Amino acid sequence: MKKGYGDDMKNLEIKDLHVSVEDKEILKGVDLIVNEGEAHVLMGPNGNGKSTLLAAIMGDPRYKVTQGSIIYDGKNILEMPVNERSIAGLFLGMQYPQEINGVTNSDFLRAAMNVRREKPVSLFEFIKEMEKTINDLQMSEDLAHRFLNEGFSGGEKKRNEIVQLEMLKPSLAMLDEIDSGLDVDAIKIVADAINRIRKENNMALIIVSHYERFLELIKPEFTHVLVDGRIVVSGGPDLYEKVDQEGYDWIYEKYGVKPEAEEKKERISIGSCSVKESLKGLGL
Amino acid sequence: MKITEDRKIVLDQDFIKLEIDSSDKLELEFEPVNDCNVFININSVNELTVKGETKADQRVSLFFWNGCNEPVCISSFFEVKENGELILGFGECNGADTFIDATVELKEKKAKATVSTASLVNSEKDYRIRVINSAVNTEAQIKNYAVVLNKGRLTIDAVGKIVNGAHKSRSHQVSRALSFEEGQKVTILPELLIDENDVQASHAMSIGRVDENQLYYMMSRGLNIRECTMLISMGYLLPIADIIEDKELQDTIRNQLENRIRELCLM
Repeated sequence: MKKGYGDDMKNLEIKDLHVSVEDKEILKGVDLIVNEGEAHVLMGPNGNGKSTLLAAIMGDPRYKVTQGSIIYDGKNILEMPVNERSIAGLFLGMQYPQEINGVTNSDFLRAAMNVRREKPVSLFEFIKEMEKTINDLQMSEDLAHRFLNEGFSGGEKKRNEIVQLEMLKPSLAMLDEIDSGLDVDAIKIVADAINRIRKENNMALIIVSHYERFLELIKPEFTHVLVDGRIVVSGGPDLYEKVDQEGYDWIYEKYGVKPEAEEKKERISIGSCSVKESLKGLGL
Repeated sequence: MKITEDRKIVLDQDFIKLEIDSSDKLELEFEPVNDCNVFININSVNELTVKGETKADQRVSLFFWNGCNEPVCISSFFEVKENGELILGFGECNGADTFIDATVELKEKKAKATVSTASLVNSEKDYRIRVINSAVNTEAQIKNYAVVLNKGRLTIDAVGKIVNGAHKSRSHQVSRALSFEEGQKVTILPELLIDENDVQASHAMSIGRVDENQLYYMMSRGLNIRECTMLISMGYLLPIADIIEDKELQDTIRNQLENRIRELCLM
């Protein structure tokens, strides 16, 4: 029997979370409980708060929590700096992983492994584990010696996030569109790795994804739809299947919500075409 | 290695290690016989002047490691002849002030030179680096990397000069200084003096603290700010050791830099 919330399990409890970015409120009261080992998918139109929620849980300094609480494993993580949240078991696989020149993947990962261990990982143990993980994700053998994400393709960056996930073994992984930029074969490789890690570590998952194919491979047990900064409906796998087939219009209608329109980028003129200008001068 | 009557140091081996321990001014002149890799460990010296040339088709690499506890002034002048290549490196993580003035002239066609510096700055460091393309189809690279700590003051004046007539020459330079906190004094002057048309030249320069997005990314994997800065600093400075071909010495220099960065960053 599954243990209930409040037992000695690592659970995440979010209550009435309000988050702003540059004085604009993005999350307007989110409530969510994710118990150890559970997989949840966050769906919703773009620009309605999915990535903001994950970034706020991880502690991205650009996102300001103005109200509400986030408790993980009994601790108020809003009081913890980003690195301590990571050591507490949280992991965010980012939509746009940073490129860091001069820092190799192996140095970075070894340092990240060491901060969560009492005794530093031996070089032999580290190399063995890194080689196995690179092999699992079917990445190139020189990954360990390459600079962190530098010059990586979009797909390689996403797979490298999963390499880090596998090496760091978090208890709650948040994956923000980790499937975007991956081809069909790579999606399968990544999903297999995530499922294996889940099984080995009883890791909980919060996934943001638009692709049903990826969700079919991960099989999350819970679905939540975020519209205009609130979770408007939650359900099981049938909900993401319905969204995949019918879109969000029925949700707007049924729950009386209106999505936040994605910010449109205005066109910027970079000047006049000199040929066009010269033709004008000739009266053409 | 031999020293001639006119005090020239004849570099007649593939790899040579020199130790400099002097309280006076010292003038050295190098004369490479073949391709060679020279490691110069400066333990103490008041003023050091080094001259030399890379002959036609030679490949010479010289790496100066400054371990002085007292202020030091190092001046160097090298010429590179036809199709020769000079790799010149200066590395330091000591606490004393340093003034380095290095000039390389690419005298004949197809000559190449790379001048690299790497410095963990906790005192006053002043670098003046000049590479002059004086002949056709010559190639110059200047690479300066520094990590500036609380008490550090850094000045880098990097000049790439292509003279009139040095057709199809290249002069590129990059200077980057990473600072820990606000208030440190860093001045970088990248200069390109170009007097020919069909040439390529570029400079890149950055001064500043670790990028906040990069910090957040690294911290999201469990590292604190000091540990992130330490890793990034190592990325800035350790590649200088690649100039040294002797693996054992390369490891020694890497370890010295690594330990010093660790010691100062985690303070």
